[in-house]
Amino acid sequence: MPGVYLGLLIFSCAGMVVLDWRHRLFFWKSPMRAACVLAVGLLGFIAWDVWGIGERIFFRGDSPLLVGVNVGHEFPVEELFFLTLLCYMTMNLYSALSRWESGRANRTDEPRIPGSHAPAKDEIA
Amino acid sequence: MSYAFIVLVVLGIAAAIAVASLLLGARISWVAASLSAVVLFISTGIFDNLMIGVGLFAYNEDTLLRLYVGSAPIEDFAYPLAAVLALPALWELFGRWDPADVRTIIRSSRPISWVNTAYPFAAAYLLSEGNIDSTFVVGTLFFLVPYNLLMYGVNDVFDYESDMRNPRKGGVEGAVLPKRLHRPILVASAITTIPGVIWLLAVGNLVSGILLIACVAGVLAYSVPPVRTKERPVADSITSSLHFVGPAIVGLAFGGATWTPQLVAIIVSFFFWGWASHAFGAVQDVVADREAGIASTATVWGARFTVRLAFLCYAASAVAVLFSGWPGPLAAVLVIPYLFVVAPHWNVTDETSPEANRGWRSFLWLNQIAGFGVTMLLIWFALGD
Repeated sequence: MPGVYLGLLIFSCAGMVVLDWRHRLFFWKSPMRAACVLAVGLLGFIAWDVWGIGERIFFRGDSPLLVGVNVGHEFPVEELFFLTLLCYMTMNLYSALSRWESGRANRTDEPRIPGSHAPAKDEIA
Repeated sequence: MSYAFIVLVVLGIAAAIAVASLLLGARISWVAASLSAVVLFISTGIFDNLMIGVGLFAYNEDTLLRLYVGSAPIEDFAYPLAAVLALPALWELFGRWDPADVRTIIRSSRPISWVNTAYPFAAAYLLSEGNIDSTFVVGTLFFLVPYNLLMYGVNDVFDYESDMRNPRKGGVEGAVLPKRLHRPILVASAITTIPGVIWLLAVGNLVSGILLIACVAGVLAYSVPPVRTKERPVADSITSSLHFVGPAIVGLAFGGATWTPQLVAIIVSFFFWGWASHAFGAVQDVVADREAGIASTATVWGARFTVRLAFLCYAASAVAVLFSGWPGPLAAVLVIPYLFVVAPHWNVTDETSPEANRGWRSFLWLNQIAGFGVTMLLIWFALGD
């Protein structure tokens, strides 16, 4: 069934977009930054793949799940979506976890003095 | 080559990005990064096995370490590791930058001039190699942005004192750079230049590599003390011209061109054109440069001598191109407008030298016409080949 792999990748990427949108993690936090990070990540991983393919280390399988469109020598179109998913997932995870971590740190660091109020988020930053 | 070797190089680069980001002030949350890595490793372990299992891709066993997690080669785990090392670091680094400062740094590389260095490389490479390949793309991108940041951005850092006193700087012709941006510019120049140079050195031969390094060294020598050729008469115009001729020579070397006398004639013509343009450009700054205590062809030999030198160099450029292969000699026509722009200043004095700015400004659009004309000739030449 050609297109199964591509379909799953697009589905997963869409999931990343929804999480990003819902929790303001990456593109919905800072669009330009996110675009630059994703661009650098994609270019780096593509260069890595091309290098590996050039050295005949890994190559495209003949799986019937692939749509059969190549964007480069031994480089199926699906790989672009896979690399996007890898970068997007890394950044969504990192963004969510660092928010969780700083939230936790703020709770424990907060001095327990009667009458003091928790500093607003902007004051800490 | 083994997969492990590639992995080591890639992880080295990813780690370098992380370290560089930290040094530049990025605050990475290591807890978040480590937890992300754990999740990504587990996902990789599951999905890599699935993907290999259904035959989406395969490996050449001889290049592997033959250590597996299920059927996934251990090397594959470098993908999430590299991602988690480099991407959060970049994210935190970019977050520390003021968008206005980023724009200033990009402006310092003179985007209006980017094409002037990328084009000579691209045209020279394409005509000698005949194909668009990865070297063409990387080389053109390298000479488009990093090379210009290295040239103009670094130049602005070392020109700071004199530029502060020159009212002409600050518009399209240049930008006075706040002192706090000096270090970021030098760092940005290094970070954008080094990967391109390494790539080009790796794919080129000995001669092209030496020429590339000479080209980059020439750009630095122009403004960086103690060499700082821009303050040495003659050497200033020659290095400046080589900034633009250099990419063409490098392009020819990477493309494996044969150095016929006709080809040398074109390069010599281009070189004289660059020399003339630089010399004439310095005339308008005679007063400002003298006040700032900066030497140049124009301050040492005077505005009038320099204008006449520029005129003769343009003439030499027109003559040299006559010796190139057909239809090259037609390019001599493109040089004539420059003679007309420079000629009115033939009797300029040091006092009236700022007037030369008018002539220099017309270069900005004259260069576009000349570039268009040269392109037409190149296409004609390529089609006739």
